[in-house]
Amino acid sequence: MTYQNLAKASASKIRLNKIKTFFMQPHNVILIVMGVLCTMTTVFPMIAILEDTIKIHPGTIETWWAEKGSGYTFASYKHLFFGDLAVTNLWRPLLNTLVVAACSCLAAILFGGVFAFLVTRTNLKFKKYLSAIFIFPYIMPQWTLAMVWKNLFNSNAVTGGSDGLLASLFGIKMPLWWCQGIFPCIIVLGLHYSAFAYILIGGIFRNMDSNLEEAATILDTPKYKTMFRITLPMVKPAILSTVLLVFGSSMGSYPVPHYLNLTTLSTKYIGLKSAYTAQSSILAVIMMVLGVVILILNQRSLKSRKNYTTVTGKSGQISKINLGKVGKYVIGVLLIIFTFFTSIYPIISFAFETFLPNPGDYSFLKTWNFKDLTTKWWIYNDPTGEAGLYGQMGILFNKTIWQAYGGTMLVSLICALCSGTLGTLIGYAVSKKRRDRYANYVNNVAFIPYLMPSIAVGIAFFKLLCNQYFSLYNTYTLLIIAGTVKYIPFASRSSLNSMLQISGEIEESAIIQDIPWFKRMFCIIIPIQKSSILSGFLLPFITCIRELSLFMMLSGIGTIFATTMDYFDEMGLAAFSSGMNLILIITVLVCNAVINKLTGASLDEGIGG
Amino acid sequence: MKKVLATLLVVVLVVTAIAMIACDQKKSEVQKIIEQAQSMTMEELGRKAIEESNGKTFSGIGNSSRGKTAGPAFVKYLQTLDSTYNVTFDWQQPKNNTIFEALETDSKKPAGEFAVTLIQDGNQIESKMVQTGILDRFIPKAWADANKTTASEYKGYLALQTLNKVFMFNNTGSKTFTNVWDFVAEGEHGLFMDVDSEVVGKNFLYMLTQKDYADDLKAAYDAMPAGAAKTRIQTTADALTNDAKTLKLQGENGKYALAWIKLWVESYNKETDDGPICNQLVSSSATDKFGLLVYSKLRSVEESGSVSKNNITVAAYQDGYTGFGGYGYCHYMFVTDNSPLPWTACAFIAYITCTQDGFEAWGKDIGGYSSNPEVAKANDEKHHHSTGGMDTDGTTVLFAALNDKGYDWWEQKLIIEDPEYCASVAFTVGPWIDKLTKYNK
Repeated sequence: MTYQNLAKASASKIRLNKIKTFFMQPHNVILIVMGVLCTMTTVFPMIAILEDTIKIHPGTIETWWAEKGSGYTFASYKHLFFGDLAVTNLWRPLLNTLVVAACSCLAAILFGGVFAFLVTRTNLKFKKYLSAIFIFPYIMPQWTLAMVWKNLFNSNAVTGGSDGLLASLFGIKMPLWWCQGIFPCIIVLGLHYSAFAYILIGGIFRNMDSNLEEAATILDTPKYKTMFRITLPMVKPAILSTVLLVFGSSMGSYPVPHYLNLTTLSTKYIGLKSAYTAQSSILAVIMMVLGVVILILNQRSLKSRKNYTTVTGKSGQISKINLGKVGKYVIGVLLIIFTFFTSIYPIISFAFETFLPNPGDYSFLKTWNFKDLTTKWWIYNDPTGEAGLYGQMGILFNKTIWQAYGGTMLVSLICALCSGTLGTLIGYAVSKKRRDRYANYVNNVAFIPYLMPSIAVGIAFFKLLCNQYFSLYNTYTLLIIAGTVKYIPFASRSSLNSMLQISGEIEESAIIQDIPWFKRMFCIIIPIQKSSILSGFLLPFITCIRELSLFMMLSGIGTIFATTMDYFDEMGLAAFSSGMNLILIITVLVCNAVINKLTGASLDEGIGG
Repeated sequence: MKKVLATLLVVVLVVTAIAMIACDQKKSEVQKIIEQAQSMTMEELGRKAIEESNGKTFSGIGNSSRGKTAGPAFVKYLQTLDSTYNVTFDWQQPKNNTIFEALETDSKKPAGEFAVTLIQDGNQIESKMVQTGILDRFIPKAWADANKTTASEYKGYLALQTLNKVFMFNNTGSKTFTNVWDFVAEGEHGLFMDVDSEVVGKNFLYMLTQKDYADDLKAAYDAMPAGAAKTRIQTTADALTNDAKTLKLQGENGKYALAWIKLWVESYNKETDDGPICNQLVSSSATDKFGLLVYSKLRSVEESGSVSKNNITVAAYQDGYTGFGGYGYCHYMFVTDNSPLPWTACAFIAYITCTQDGFEAWGKDIGGYSSNPEVAKANDEKHHHSTGGMDTDGTTVLFAALNDKGYDWWEQKLIIEDPEYCASVAFTVGPWIDKLTKYNK
């Protein structure tokens, strides 16, 4: 054997050893597997939907434009961007979408951020109650608040049809801009996501080091100056990150604009898809592009976040701002009143709705005659009769409802387990190689689906997995895949933040002791950050349990709760959807309480980090 | 000469035979089964279904949730033929028009998941499902006999039922609507499901441009008293003369159809479903409001302090009402061309279209009429829809709006969907409608 051959052999052996060593590190294996998996589940659906934008769909207007029954054409792009209907089908919905997303984001940050600050950084009274109650709008499906809005403010004189509660009882008729369109959409989405903003920003405030603020206090700096010069700049990048998340979520909302009569990209998608199928796919692509723009902005915000190295997250020294003897009570009471309207009133309204003889029939409040109330929506169980339930049985005996409930629990549990586990692994692996490009890529690619509007992700999975090769339409498998991919970021973000807080020495000492990886994970890493990691399981569960926009294209009626509730709401059977909403809220509260009791993790205490 | 004639005859016969064989070869397996099934009785079909599907899963997909209710009744019927028969019945009801995508993707598989479909929207059925060969038409013998036709003579699709959407208005005020043009008068905003979310509503608008219906609209216009309202319509119609020509509408009254469509689309107040429309109209606070909605929604209204079925007047039931009173569309039944259980699909279709028990899932509703005259008659005898609003004494009218006048009466008052016509104008009249500015966009 010559020297060259020997050198070659040893070089290949070294390479082989390097590869072997590389794969002996669990985080490397995780990064490779998750990188491939996340790329597939993110990129493939995008390709599928892109292909759909140029495809000629039989029976649609594309066949007319292209003058052929099948194949490919760019005509849909031309007509959508420059055609006679460009303003109606694209530009106006796009503008509405951006305005609603931006404003609801602002509203959410304002409500949620201020609330988070008051709860975490001041000596406000009634904190425990307020903290628990503030997240209610996030637990409820977002469109149910839109229904409450409609039932409250609609009137014959302004919106047509019958009077809502205020007009009916007090003769108050709100103007049209208040009842329908952009304004109520902003308020409803703002309220819904304010709880989300509270969870995220609250987590940051809770873990923020207050040394700098204390230094400012020692130097006799006025409170407002400390707030604007120190506190807010310190949390600004994190708030910006939250803003982008809320922006992405609001942008992809379908049901709220649908019920409040506003044309956005998502409602236009549904309107166009039967006759202008390729154009509707272009709208979905536009929503995805907006998602990528958000990702880029998010990246920039995270980069700038590195400048604030004082945000260590584990100081434990949090000084509370004193609101004053009276102030802490007054502000507390004001917040109780505010949360009554955002969290308690909707629940009372849902409960009341289930006892009305007809949907929206408030006769009882005028007559106080108990004959104008009924329990039929709950207990009617005669399959041969009618009883004014449009051929349905009461909620307690309605198989469709309970089958959907079972389906939702199954999908939410598996989604939470899968996304929680995968996200935790990603967070762990990325934290181990935080300066590695590929690790950053995996982190980003896993995060993309969250920044994409839910409806666009749903459409992409529909195009990819509901065809001749994968017949997954209306199956739990499809919902679980879509839900897992969409919610991995909850866990990966939460896990990454918490893993970064764990000193590498802890695991290294275990490695020296030759403790296997599984044992290190389950006996050291996870127990230390149990609360944060469990939040990464809890948030996907809560979000999945009432998700509609993501699943509406993927499942039919009766498969899961959200699509069934939406069906009943569309049908005008508000009693059913309200009853289901109550069941949902109770389920989430029970789950939250059980998890809190068992592990200490809780939804209203943030996602950790 | 005789030899020549004989040779010619033989050639013709041979060519015909070859052509027939060729045609037959083009037929799919499911189509061949359908051809046999079309000459069978209900019982024969039932026995074939038992043979084919015992112990299996029979999946259907449809726009109506009642398909799920009809399933167990069908299984029960088959069990009267064979008590050991058992099948898992699965029924899916997709939302947001996804039924067409679900059927299209399913059609690409060698053996589909869905054996049968109950589907609405003639336009999309024609252009997306029938012309593409995804769905096959099956005409049960009993249905053809009841309609005094045969499977080969009858050219339309098999309709399970015709549903009507009718103009209703709240009568607690003084306003009345006695002419179809009143619904598009200035300041009126009828409650209606948006045509983009329920496409049969768009088909209704397409149908208005058909010559006969356009002529009816002109006649209703002529019956209007002179005045500002009539002048407004004339001005609108005149401005659309060129559009009617460009869209190649038949007859001289196409512009009146376009005028009605324009005024309607630019004025209607869109709702998510007929349910909310009904819930609103029956309230005493909905004074002078009107809607165009499924007639059957009325049956679920419960009387209370401020809600009553008597707050509603069905426009077409008024004496002297002029013009159409609503529109009719069908729930069609088809066998999928790659049906995994074609015999069972045929038997199911025959069961629900040819027996009262099969139709019972839909039969309780007013405003839904079986396409089988015998079933329609049996159904009315059982449910008494024509006197549904009468008191038990049979003479006192409790709820006038609930006395359904039946299909024969409504047929003259409705704009009935014609799938072929809808498909033919979908890309001309369709985009023209899309360009109109909706009232609450």
